[in-house]
Amino acid sequence: MRSDNGRSGTGPSLGRRRLLAGTGALAAAGWIGGTAGGWVLRPRWAHAAGPIKMGIATDITGPIAPSGNADWQVAQFAVEQINGAGGVGGRPIELFLEDTASDPKTAVGNVRRLIQQRKVDVVLGAITSAMRQAIKDPIVNRGRTLYIYPQLYEGQECTKFLFCTGPTPAQQVDELIPYLIKEKGRKRFAMPSANYVWPQLLNRYARRVIEAHGGEVVFEEYYPLDQPEYSATIGKIRDGRVDCVFSTVIAPGLQPFMKQLYESGFQREGGIVTCVYYDENLLNYHPPQEMDGLYSCLDYFQAVDDPFSRQLQEGYAKRFPGTRYLFTAGSASTGMYRGIKLYEAAVQETGGKLGREDVAAALDHAKIAQGPGGGAEMVPGKMHCRMNMYVAVCKVEAGKPRYDVIRRHDMVDPKEC
Amino acid sequence: MSQATPAGAASAASTARAGTAGRRLPTLLLVELFTAVSLLAAPLVLAERTELVTLMTNVLILSMLAVSFDLCWGYSGIMSFGQALFFGVAGYVVALVGRDLDFSQIWGSLPLAMLVGLVLALLFALFLLLGRRKPTPIFVALGTLTGSYAAERLVSGWQYVGAGNGLSSIKLLQAGSYEFVEGVPFYLLVLGLLAAVYLGARLLVRSQFGLVLAGVRQNEDRLAFFGYRVQIFKAAVFAVAGAIAGLSGALYSYHQGFIGPGNMGPALSTMAVIYTLLGGAGTLVGPVLGTAFIEVLSYWLADIEAIKAVWPIVLGLVLLAVVTFQPSGLLGILVSTRERIGTYGRRGRG
Repeated sequence: MRSDNGRSGTGPSLGRRRLLAGTGALAAAGWIGGTAGGWVLRPRWAHAAGPIKMGIATDITGPIAPSGNADWQVAQFAVEQINGAGGVGGRPIELFLEDTASDPKTAVGNVRRLIQQRKVDVVLGAITSAMRQAIKDPIVNRGRTLYIYPQLYEGQECTKFLFCTGPTPAQQVDELIPYLIKEKGRKRFAMPSANYVWPQLLNRYARRVIEAHGGEVVFEEYYPLDQPEYSATIGKIRDGRVDCVFSTVIAPGLQPFMKQLYESGFQREGGIVTCVYYDENLLNYHPPQEMDGLYSCLDYFQAVDDPFSRQLQEGYAKRFPGTRYLFTAGSASTGMYRGIKLYEAAVQETGGKLGREDVAAALDHAKIAQGPGGGAEMVPGKMHCRMNMYVAVCKVEAGKPRYDVIRRHDMVDPKEC
Repeated sequence: MSQATPAGAASAASTARAGTAGRRLPTLLLVELFTAVSLLAAPLVLAERTELVTLMTNVLILSMLAVSFDLCWGYSGIMSFGQALFFGVAGYVVALVGRDLDFSQIWGSLPLAMLVGLVLALLFALFLLLGRRKPTPIFVALGTLTGSYAAERLVSGWQYVGAGNGLSSIKLLQAGSYEFVEGVPFYLLVLGLLAAVYLGARLLVRSQFGLVLAGVRQNEDRLAFFGYRVQIFKAAVFAVAGAIAGLSGALYSYHQGFIGPGNMGPALSTMAVIYTLLGGAGTLVGPVLGTAFIEVLSYWLADIEAIKAVWPIVLGLVLLAVVTFQPSGLLGILVSTRERIGTYGRRGRG
């Protein structure tokens, strides 16, 4: 289906090269690459009871690779920190990676290896909802294993033993849309979207919020993920006198869409583009002028000025010098970090018991005091997290894009399940 | 590619005449027995390694698809570049029946899948084979390829069947209250079904019906002059192959717990062609070996980064080499052409 990976500009070869380049660093750090399936990162020290086995299933190749690689690096970073501080209850974490390759068909096979071959205690990963839906069955139902999904998503995932550590539509939209309508005077919204489950359900939620605050949705349309041509959409935006584009188009259709929208002069004429998965990683995938004035709402931005987050970023930069896979929110990296730390907290509570029931019971109310953008806590019985949310706008200064945080909302409720 | 093999068949015919293969050991039978015994023994060896049992189950399921292609191309000269279409549609049907009707009993869903494959293949045959003009192999190849591609694109845009996401969390295959999860029982089930399909296909191609097909392969016009309605024979084989592909697709769906648009597209259709041509078209056992060869190698090589990147290219080159230098496939190295084509009824002068 993804016959045109090459066009996305972030094709598999780049991701792979980065992975290979990263391998040198891994070897230097005392980790070793596995030989029989995916990658294995063994801790430097052992414990009589053996390590806690953590599986990471993420997109190392394919169009989603930029996010997937960031997730993988953050997972290594977080696990190294935990192991460096003595592990979880004295036991180190051993990390296993399988590439989900941005393709659910490949992913179900690869993820199964984490379960059947590696016999991991927990799996973290997946970026897109398509991927989550494809791999949750092999992990949770057939594999009888705990699963943590780290990405912001459309909500309504209430599967037992599946915990979500990314923001939900309520967390992303409840603050952002009223801000755009009341403070920015937006009335007419357009919803161009990629045709899969995340945009559909997010749009459904966002539409309700828009209409509740007196806004109007001019159109809501879905395109194949790899559509390269958007002139019809842009015509509708113009003809419908849209003043705010709420976009959920994703790669590989994303770059052409943003380019064509910008070239149509929408932003120059005062239009606002908002896209709630836009983070610092995405800044590198568009020319700066296309990004200027874009609104996003996430659980963390690098502009968030909080000592712990800054310390995390410094540590990450030291661990992966010059990496182009940034530790940001939209790529699920913050959810990954949060997921690993919440799992750590849960296992600490069970006293080292790794059984799925035990850990899930503890994870149900797990809390972490610190994290990127602040602490987080699972809402008991809901399998989703409360966390801080930030509304930010992209500003370009001297050709360099960055986000300015406009608002902070503390411990926003996920309103799920 | 589609031209290399008829040429191969022609040269095969000439070597058959030239060959002095009098009363050799039936190598083909030996290969078949060896394959059967290895497949039966596999779960005993692999029992502890669930992931390898899963891999082998997958190999068996895909080799069923390859066998269905072999019936088309190896025995009837139908270049079906859309075998995955029947595979995928049947896979979707059983997934939907599981989701919407909460039904996945083995006695109902597998026959249903075969029926879906059969009917769909018949419809295609009606259009591609039974038209007024005699279809050329290119016409059939492009027709099936287009069908496969169109189906993939249609399904990727259709919300009810999950669009681009495909269908996941598919209900497990059941026999009464027993549920088949990945593992040895599922493997044995698939092995049993593959054996049944294989024997059925073997009987078909070695029967009087198969003799007609052999004649069609050699000289279609001549058979037509004899009064055979050649296209009817072809359509029948195509429909049977469709049913087999459907069965394989349903098993895939249940086994993987996932079916997506990619499972009915040209990519998988091409894989069926590759499995067959590599193993040896027109042998039935060749496609099984070809599938095992490619899938096991892919699984093993997937871990070696340097090779993974160029693996599709390697696969392409291997196939090119096989088609160019060894048109009868890997099995052709072992098995004489005469034996490959087989004998029907009484032995001739020889």
